[in-house]
Amino acid sequence: MKLAWLRTQDGAHGDSVWTTTWVPGNEESPALLLTGSLDETVKLWNPEDLSLIRTNSGHCLGVVSVAAHPSGRIAASASIDSFVRVFDVQSNNTIATLEASPSEVWQLKFNPQGTVLAVAGGGSASVKLWNTSEWKLVGTLSIPRPEGVKHSEKSGTKKFVLSVAWSPDGRQLACGSMDGTISVFDVARSKFLHHLEGHCMPVRSLVYSPIDSRVLVSASDDGHVNMYDVEGKTLFVSMSGHSSWVLSVDVSPDGAAIATGSSDKTVRLWDPKMRAAVQSMTNHTDQVWGVMFRPPGGPGVRTVQLASVSDDKSISLYEYS
Amino acid sequence: MACVYIPVQNSEEEVRVSLDQLPRDATDILDILKAEQAPLDLWLIIAREYFKQGKVEQFRQILEEGSSPEIDEYYADVRYERIAILNALGAYYSHLGKIETKREKEDYFIKATQYYNKASRIDMHESSTWVGKGQLLLAKGDLDQASSAFKIVLDGDREHVPALLGQACVQFSRGKYLESLELYKRALQVNPQCPAAVRLGIGMCRYKLGQHEKAKQAFKRLDPENVEALVALGILDLQINEAAGIRRGMEKMQRAFEFYPYCATSLNYLANHFFFTGQHFLVEQLTETALAVTNHGPTRAHSYYNLARSYHSKGDFEKAGLYYMASVKEIDKPKEFVLPYYGLAQVQLHLGDLRSSLANYEKVLEVAPENCETLKAVGHIFVQLGQSEKALEYLKKATKFHPRDHEAFIDLGELLISTDAGAALDAFKSARALLKKGHEEIPIDLLNNIGALHFEREEYELAEEAFKEALGDGVWRKLIDTDTKGNRQQPDPIKEALYKPLDASASVEKYRDTQLFSQIEEAGVSVELPWIKIPPLFNLGTLLEHLHRTEMASILYRLILFKYPEYIDAHLRLAAIAKAQNNFHLSIQLVRDALKIDDKCPNALLMLGDLELKNDDWVKAKETFKAANDATNGKDSYATLCLGNWNYFAAVRFDKRNAKLEATHLEKAKELYTKVLVQHSSNLYAANGAGVVLAEKGHYDVAKELLTQVQEAASGSIFVQMPGVWINLAHIHFAQGDFALAIKMYQNCLRRFFYNTDSNVLLYLARTHYEAEQWQDCKRTLLRAIHLAPSNYTLRFDAGVTLQKFSASTLQKTKRTVDEVRATVAELTNAVRLFSQLSAASNLHIHGFDEKKIETHVGYCKHLLEAAKVHLEAAEREDQLNKQRQELARQVTLAEENRRKAEEQKKLQLEKRKQEEELKQMQQQEEHLERMKEQWKHTSASKRKDRTHAEDENGGRSEKRRRKGEKKRKREKKSRYETEEAGDMDDQEEMEMEDEYVNRNYKQTDNTMNDDGDEVDENPQDLLAAAGLEDSDAETDAVENPSAANRKRRAWSESDDDEPTTRHTESSPIRENSAEMQVSDGD
Repeated sequence: MKLAWLRTQDGAHGDSVWTTTWVPGNEESPALLLTGSLDETVKLWNPEDLSLIRTNSGHCLGVVSVAAHPSGRIAASASIDSFVRVFDVQSNNTIATLEASPSEVWQLKFNPQGTVLAVAGGGSASVKLWNTSEWKLVGTLSIPRPEGVKHSEKSGTKKFVLSVAWSPDGRQLACGSMDGTISVFDVARSKFLHHLEGHCMPVRSLVYSPIDSRVLVSASDDGHVNMYDVEGKTLFVSMSGHSSWVLSVDVSPDGAAIATGSSDKTVRLWDPKMRAAVQSMTNHTDQVWGVMFRPPGGPGVRTVQLASVSDDKSISLYEYS
Repeated sequence: MACVYIPVQNSEEEVRVSLDQLPRDATDILDILKAEQAPLDLWLIIAREYFKQGKVEQFRQILEEGSSPEIDEYYADVRYERIAILNALGAYYSHLGKIETKREKEDYFIKATQYYNKASRIDMHESSTWVGKGQLLLAKGDLDQASSAFKIVLDGDREHVPALLGQACVQFSRGKYLESLELYKRALQVNPQCPAAVRLGIGMCRYKLGQHEKAKQAFKRLDPENVEALVALGILDLQINEAAGIRRGMEKMQRAFEFYPYCATSLNYLANHFFFTGQHFLVEQLTETALAVTNHGPTRAHSYYNLARSYHSKGDFEKAGLYYMASVKEIDKPKEFVLPYYGLAQVQLHLGDLRSSLANYEKVLEVAPENCETLKAVGHIFVQLGQSEKALEYLKKATKFHPRDHEAFIDLGELLISTDAGAALDAFKSARALLKKGHEEIPIDLLNNIGALHFEREEYELAEEAFKEALGDGVWRKLIDTDTKGNRQQPDPIKEALYKPLDASASVEKYRDTQLFSQIEEAGVSVELPWIKIPPLFNLGTLLEHLHRTEMASILYRLILFKYPEYIDAHLRLAAIAKAQNNFHLSIQLVRDALKIDDKCPNALLMLGDLELKNDDWVKAKETFKAANDATNGKDSYATLCLGNWNYFAAVRFDKRNAKLEATHLEKAKELYTKVLVQHSSNLYAANGAGVVLAEKGHYDVAKELLTQVQEAASGSIFVQMPGVWINLAHIHFAQGDFALAIKMYQNCLRRFFYNTDSNVLLYLARTHYEAEQWQDCKRTLLRAIHLAPSNYTLRFDAGVTLQKFSASTLQKTKRTVDEVRATVAELTNAVRLFSQLSAASNLHIHGFDEKKIETHVGYCKHLLEAAKVHLEAAEREDQLNKQRQELARQVTLAEENRRKAEEQKKLQLEKRKQEEELKQMQQQEEHLERMKEQWKHTSASKRKDRTHAEDENGGRSEKRRRKGEKKRKREKKSRYETEEAGDMDDQEEMEMEDEYVNRNYKQTDNTMNDDGDEVDENPQDLLAAAGLEDSDAETDAVENPSAANRKRRAWSESDDDEPTTRHTESSPIRENSAEMQVSDGD
């Protein structure tokens, strides 16, 4: 289990790179890398040599999240102006502009089936669901307010939803909030299931294990990476090691390793069995806002790649083996 | 039966006096002697007999009577006997003088001298008198005169044995053993039957000359019952210093004792022996006897020493000290017998009399300058006297002279810990290496110290190794070990317990849970933790914590608590971990656990205070801080600092409306900071606080100087993290209008201390950019802050204001490009969006914004937007015009070109047909030109018309704007009071932020200090202290709560961001200017 550095594109954006996602490969195109930045652009990259394919402008205020449809044809980006732009990957034609005012938008994720786009709704304490056929708002998964707590100013911001994750079967959705709690929903029944506690600081990233719908991995500003058994509502691993916030987390396609990016400028690879980091990459010189494993499949790809993006304006690629 | 016969005067009869039946009262005998006018030699014999029987008084009586003037008169002719009597008296007094140590000594010698002089007067050539004089001088220590006295005798008679012996004694005393030996030998040759003393002398000389075998032979030739010889032989045997020799020696001593139980030397040696065998009762008896039988100073010193040592070893320091003192008093020069000085120094050290102890140790060092134990002891004393320089000197000497003495290295290391960690570590490592070489067990403390020093020097791996070595084997091994490669078939109860999934809802409480260990015990694995292993275990915990292996650290702390639930510091560390993770509920619980053990524990109280501040419980927090301050009698700088900070916060927070109260609070804060500074002039946190108060009062230059010094000092140590100083300095630069420097400082601070994650510092930075009118930087900075703190809506508001401001200032510019105007429009759109979103969101949540205010912003921005659109149109039109103009110019040149070409053609034609069609062509040309001119005029006219139109429009609009501006100004006037207040608040708030740092930093230093303590000494108290330090770390964050508490207020104040006009009225003229500009901007 290790990471090997492949290449870095310095100055990939004019300012901090805040988000990245892999656009899955299809018949027309191999997998591509999509990044979003504070410089108000979204860029598409060829992972082979990290050459720039296209720059999408037209976002106002920084781009906080990008997501790709499983088909690899459509992608979406969200920025601080609270618009979600859905566009055609190949042509950059705008397909839809989504807005659910007054809720702002943070992390975006398509469900594995590609039928729904989930958008973390910030202060609305909810996750908005948009269907991908007509781009209509089809659902709002709201976090119930805890009983007995006054609707004071504090609790209002406490359940601020930052991050969102789909279970591999697409039935479940989990979202992370500023106060550190994770809320789990049954999507089909549009029902809140339960909270998962363990963090008391913002959960900016969370992800289900691709091989086990029960396992959810979360990253938090408290510097910990937690692994939960969603069904059993238990915390079974809590790993510390980053010296600052953990900003992003992803699980390798084989489900054996966890990668994280942190404000401490490192990318780390964790072995959940050992409950410890096995490797720490120090090539970035500022906060690492996004890490993501390349989804399996696609022609000519034998190894698994990992991409990381950072405030240092660069993108890096690694080989995971 | 020996007896003497005293002839009866005038008859043939004699009185028979049996010498062993002499009457007790010498007067009886004297009467007879006087009455019968007995020959003087009889007097002498009888006196001598008394002396032999120990009846000194009678002896003296007879002799004094025998040397009285009447006798002199009566026996005037009997010279020799008279001399003999006088000499006997002289010898007697010489002896008294010799053994007497007190003042009478001199008197005795004077008496002796008088007797000898009297004897000399009778016959100044009598050799025995000279010998006596020599002995007297010898006893007085006047070797030269003694020698000349003996020489006078020897000049007369080379073989005069007593003189020979006397001279030998002189030479012996002079240390000329060879000469002495010769003299003894001569005496022996002259008189082979001479007393044992001669052979003893020979033996002594041989002994002194190092000829131990020959010395032994000499002693052996003596009577086997001769006590002195036995003792000497015994000493010789003892000096061989091996078991057999010692046994033989002691046997001889014992025999000597059996023959003559009053020989002090043998008594001393026996006592010495029994001291080592631990029979203290015998030691006391023997030494007491020895003291009773001898007046010889050095011997008595030995006896007292033995006695003292015996008490010393029994732990009776008072008595030991007294006897050591007695022993020392018997000694003239420490050189002769230094041991009692050492013992006395030890006892005095034990009893805390450092100065006397030091004096005695120094005496020992005079004799034995390289004695390791003494050097170490002196070093220790200097440490305790606070003279570390001197201590260092001595301990370094000790390690230099004794490079194999691990204790010296440990002592040296412990001394160096606080001053020179590197050198201390080297010393400890040397000690460890020595112990390893000797295959000795390495003390846990030593390893713990090595670990702690490595930790301090950021050599974390080495530190971990050292701590683990100190811990050795135990349940913690398995807990720390993350290796999973072991036999997976066999279930490991420890791992099982460790990896047991936790109920997610219970996981928030996990740092209080020690069930893990109960579970391990239930599984049959015993959980043992000896008390002595706690320091390294706790230190390892803090190390892991430092390395962010928080979970493991928490397990170690919980293990300590499982075994020792009273260990407050582990509670506090866990509370600190919980607090660092924002889990205040748990943190408070953990602190309460600690307070249950000791409700006066200042560290726990201070932490509780911080947590209460986080919960916005100001009154409670103050009470808690006060309790902590009381618990430490106001001696704890941190407690005082906390109170100081509290007052500072109170000054800038509560009492905005009451300038008096604000001043009181500030004054109080200043007083408290000063108090700390008086106690610890180098307390950076107090200095920082003082700097902040100064800045608050507007003394920027002084504050800057002070804070710069603090910053410099703080940069020197890796353990001091004071981002607050950076921020405070940046604030001052900002207040003084030095934006570039302020920006640099904020950025450095962010990078250096916060991994760029602190949205508050970003806000300060944005604010500076704003004042510096760097709109793009300001916007980016705010977006970054929003990204870091998404739920902080005030940041969005600020971003909106920035965009609005940017747009307004762009529109204000006289020259602007189309792109600029376009950007303005785009940013205005964003601003409108941000404001309207906030407005919409405020229906759902309370952000602390005034809805109306947002509406105003939205309205204003929309208005600006409209205006901008007009501007844009105008600009675009202008742009178009420009383009047209360019086109026209192009056309003109084109026309010129054409004309030129045409002319050329015409010229050609002209050449061809000039003569025939000259006139016609001229006319045509003129017409053409005319046409061209017409066209020209036409275009320029239309252009002029356009322009005036545009100008008119402009004018109209500005008029409109002016009107609006007036309206706005009115509004501003109304709200000015409000805004001013708000502005102030903002300012103060920023200062508050700094203060959080004050605390944080202080704690950290404290931390280090405690660490040191921990390293120096592993007493539990130190441990506690160490732990205390650590917890301070935890507390750090607590202070941050004011920011949380103030969020609402900040929201308020920041909402006034759009009117920075009134903000910094007090700060500098520059700001006022900018304020004016802003007012005009508003139009």
